[in-house]
Amino acid sequence: MVGEHATLGSHSISEAEILAFARTYDPQPFHTDPEAARRSLFGGLIASGWHTCALMMRLSVEANRREDAAATGSPGVDSCRWLKPVRPGDTLTARGEVLETWPSRSKPIGFVRRRMEMLNQHGEVVMVAVGITMFRRRPVAAGAGA
Amino acid sequence: MKYFEDVKVGDVTRFGRYEVTREEIVEYARQFDPQPFHLDEEAARASMYGGLIASGWHTAAMLMRMVCDNMIPLSATMGAMGFDDLKWLRPVRPGDVLSAESEIREKVEGKRPDRAMVKVESRVLNQRGEVVMSLVSLVIYLRRPALGS
Repeated sequence: MVGEHATLGSHSISEAEILAFARTYDPQPFHTDPEAARRSLFGGLIASGWHTCALMMRLSVEANRREDAAATGSPGVDSCRWLKPVRPGDTLTARGEVLETWPSRSKPIGFVRRRMEMLNQHGEVVMVAVGITMFRRRPVAAGAGA
Repeated sequence: MKYFEDVKVGDVTRFGRYEVTREEIVEYARQFDPQPFHLDEEAARASMYGGLIASGWHTAAMLMRMVCDNMIPLSATMGAMGFDDLKWLRPVRPGDVLSAESEIREKVEGKRPDRAMVKVESRVLNQRGEVVMSLVSLVIYLRRPALGS
């Protein structure tokens, strides 16, 4: 429902996870080399922004599973901002707010636009994104006259 | 090395090659996006996608790897503020071979003397030349240091 807020779960991110993700997908020295990162503008190792997106996705999938939500993919993300660095040992919590819902005209699915935030253990918003998730429509019960 | 001053609106660069394997699709999904249509061929066949597809965030991560290997070594950049208008346009499947193209859309001068933002539209293409994903990244470029400084 529009206006609905939910906390989706938390994840503590380790240095090993930051390094493993970055070495595969985002090998820039401030993500892959603690020593080089210390000398960089960031003053220490920081997680790839794409890693933070990936963790937001996992927390969202886990929350959907707990709630038996019939999410079925996404056409895209309107906007995403990496506002503060994510560092080893940070605990990230995902929070979502439903902005808008509308049905598909051609398929038995509906769309939900949500504002998602990732917060660190200090309550700072490290990432904010507005994206769309597709959900399957509830099947009409047999005998409901549809 | 390309600094903010060297970037021209309208410039297009094509780069990268990324072979997408079933193992990598499943491994990424297991870690970050464990939905049945990213994890399991049988379940994926029964889904609206008709077969196993990569997580959209995985496609974004593969683009980032192509950017790191091909673009960043030539560019005086220091990360990005984020992105706008990310669209997952077509499924990415095992065996697909991805490449990328980036187009400079806009240069935004801020208050800082040492850096400024460039809006870069990047598109990920498959081996048939179909665009599978696009987005506009907000990239931070360093400004060219003044002579003698």
